[in-house]
Amino acid sequence: MWTPENIKKTVTDNRIVLFVKGTKEQPMCGFSHRAIQVMNMVGEPFEVVNIFDDPAIRPALIEFSNWPTTPQLFVDGELIGGSDIVLEMYESGELQTKIAAGSGADSAPGNDS
Amino acid sequence: MLLTTSEIQKLIEESIPGASVEVADLTGTSDHFDIRVSSAAFAGKSRIEQHKMVQAALGEHLTTTIHAVQIKTQVPE
Repeated sequence: MWTPENIKKTVTDNRIVLFVKGTKEQPMCGFSHRAIQVMNMVGEPFEVVNIFDDPAIRPALIEFSNWPTTPQLFVDGELIGGSDIVLEMYESGELQTKIAAGSGADSAPGNDS
Repeated sequence: MLLTTSEIQKLIEESIPGASVEVADLTGTSDHFDIRVSSAAFAGKSRIEQHKMVQAALGEHLTTTIHAVQIKTQVPE
């Protein structure tokens, strides 16, 4: 049974996690497919969680991230965004920079200060 | 009840004052939309926060009648 705590553990134990509909090999939604393609182009290994594996994953994920849709990309435990943001950040190079920065530099740039 | 593009535009404009909003119905079936929003209210906010503002404007519609949206936000130059 997935809970928001399981989601938190998943995105903490794995540096890059993509929650999608379907699998890496067989995405079951165009948006999930697009996000997987982008992450494949980035080239860094990433963990994929198929929200259809368990009906409890989706509500737990939404509660944890306060983000209503799938896919959702997490890097260093932080929600980066859905497929639009992921693609936009890939095109601008921000995504590659963030991923290359390593897990030591996990603070978001100056939104809270 | 399905929303029209102008209803979606109105919801976002009411929720984010001063926003410039463009909405396109991608499939002609009133459930897949392309939404572009430009607003000074986005200044200093992360993309996640900007998108959340747009999602909030759509409220329950996003989890009921709307199957998918693609959102692009920007701060006007």
